Amino acid sequence: MNAKQAFKRWVLGFCGVATLAFTPVVDVTPAFAHGERSQEPFLRMRTVNWYDTEWVGKSTKVNDVTELRGRFHLSEDWPRAVVKPHRTFLNVGSPSSVFVRLSSKMNGVPMFNSGPLDIGGDYEYVVKLKARLPGHHHIHPMLAIKEAGPVAGPGGWMDITGRYEDFTNPVKTLTGETFDSETMGGMTGIMWHLFWVVVACFWVGWFMIRPMYLVRARVLAAYGDEILLDPIDRKVGAAMLVFVLVVVVVGYLAAESKHPISVPLQAGETKVKPLPVKPNPLAIEVTHAEYDVPGRALRMNLHVTNNGTQPISIGEFTTAGIRFTNKVGAAKVDPNYPQELVASAGLTMDKEGAVMPGQTVDIKVESKDVLWEVQRLVDILHDPDQRFAGLFMSYTEGGERLINPVWAPVLPVFTRLGA
Amino acid sequence: MFRTDEIIKASKLPPEGVAMSRHIDHIYFIPILFITIVGTFHMHTALLCGDWDFWLDWKDRQWWPIVTPITTITFCAALQYYNWVNYRQPFGATITILALGFGKWIAVYTSWWWWSNYPPNFVMPATLLPSALVLDITLLLTRNWTLTAVIGAWMYAILFYPSNWPIFGYSHTPLVVDGSLLSWADYMGFMYVRTGTPEYIRMIEVGSLRTFGGHSTMISAFFSAFASSLVYVLWWQFGKFFCTSYFYFTDDRQRTVKVYDVFAYATLAHGDKAKIGGKA
Repeated sequence: MNAKQAFKRWVLGFCGVATLAFTPVVDVTPAFAHGERSQEPFLRMRTVNWYDTEWVGKSTKVNDVTELRGRFHLSEDWPRAVVKPHRTFLNVGSPSSVFVRLSSKMNGVPMFNSGPLDIGGDYEYVVKLKARLPGHHHIHPMLAIKEAGPVAGPGGWMDITGRYEDFTNPVKTLTGETFDSETMGGMTGIMWHLFWVVVACFWVGWFMIRPMYLVRARVLAAYGDEILLDPIDRKVGAAMLVFVLVVVVVGYLAAESKHPISVPLQAGETKVKPLPVKPNPLAIEVTHAEYDVPGRALRMNLHVTNNGTQPISIGEFTTAGIRFTNKVGAAKVDPNYPQELVASAGLTMDKEGAVMPGQTVDIKVESKDVLWEVQRLVDILHDPDQRFAGLFMSYTEGGERLINPVWAPVLPVFTRLGA
Repeated sequence: MFRTDEIIKASKLPPEGVAMSRHIDHIYFIPILFITIVGTFHMHTALLCGDWDFWLDWKDRQWWPIVTPITTITFCAALQYYNWVNYRQPFGATITILALGFGKWIAVYTSWWWWSNYPPNFVMPATLLPSALVLDITLLLTRNWTLTAVIGAWMYAILFYPSNWPIFGYSHTPLVVDGSLLSWADYMGFMYVRTGTPEYIRMIEVGSLRTFGGHSTMISAFFSAFASSLVYVLWWQFGKFFCTSYFYFTDDRQRTVKVYDVFAYATLAHGDKAKIGGKA
């Protein structure tokens, strides 16, 4: 290596070390979300349509219990590119285990394990959470689908106050003992590890106190191993073998007597039936849909029929956890719902009035907001399957909510002239 | 007590050479060999039996005792080759597992606790030290790597489950939550939210090994022992492939020979060294 090469390597090495050294002091803005916007639009719009999501208790003290609950509809327009929900798990998207999940139920069924869900079905979930790590946390409901990955629902902020040091989580077992999830088994495990480390260090140290490598290699090459194989090593080895086997057997029997009742890990399959289908007098069909790129709007032509006995008003179009509402829908939005996911005047129609009983009408609907771009749903135009899906929320005069899943292909409009 | 004087005398090194060799022992052994094993073997284990070793709720009766010994006996065999064949040192497996444990405990406290906030009892690694000690002792007592593959590797796998039961036995204690029977390990996995690790990823007693009268652990341990034996042979050969040094020497009559005695290189005259071809 000449001087120039050596200098180059020195500079490269210096840059590397300097980068590593300065990384901790650079003012990097922390990331508070989980990259949910990076999921493809077809995945967010056409698989799980989340609604009624509630983050109960925006601020919770350490050790207090709160809930994450809501409903979702599995879209009938499930993408061909995504594996069907044959095995799913209701999860929570959170920055580590800031809450401890005490239980979760879907349509009243405990969801400790995974299970199949029905496309076209509606499910109601309640997740009971115990506050653990103080902070300002972004929490999502999440449905993990085997071989398709997780589909994150809308994210909302939940605060945890207090001190982590005060967190305890005692749980009673069937044997009558009480285990604390933060500490149970920790010290026993560490002591056993330490014990074996001491034994192993003795074994290696027994050979370390004598010349280890160069001297022995020379002797081995010159004379073979007759001199190297010290008889005392064999004696110590035999003693050590007996010692290890005895400790393993005694340790096993002691653990058996301490925890005589045990069950294997449980990994069954949870079967959950969808919510019963309520009669819906409103029929909505999308006859045409286009996405206006410069106008940031999804336009739909709806063919609507009211088969009921009361006038019905369309109030909201929701997809990917984002809610486009008109005046009717805005009045129904939970004020605690994350405002960054609501376009409160984002839904307009050419016929704003209610659809009368027995009436069939074609309505041009526009859901328009910068949220299409902020939430990266405009990327639907880069998908291999340019379709959308979502839910229309309508309300009868009596205040009953009707939910209509919709789906259709989307045609892009790239210029204002085209619009 | 030891044959140290006799060995040093046979090495024909001058006193300063012996002193230097001890410095080399220490510099080479601790910072180079140990840390290299920590880095490489820890990564190897994380890739091949990662979740089984990371999480309490993956440590089932069937796959955990199969996967862990088979994937960890690898480096043990290769390091045993290196230490035994070149130096007749019978601690290759023990030092390998010590290094692995060192890396794992760094990960438990930095990655899992400090960074991700999972309690250490939830991410407690398994111990393989009793297995490794028995593997090393078998090699020392038999002085034969084939017998070590048959006896030692079997013992390595068979001892895995009983030697870890004192650490993890409590986690199979039953409890009932919302009317569902769970083991404590299941509930720990449920309580501590892992956004990227849904429950269905776990492989819990999947397969037909448990059909032998329900004795999953015994059957798994014996299958693991059999497979470990084969893997031991394979990785002993890897050790041989990567640890064999030689050079080619071309003499005055243009005859080229492959010389395995690397110490012979030092005894060559300066002029002869110039005749070495190939790779040394």
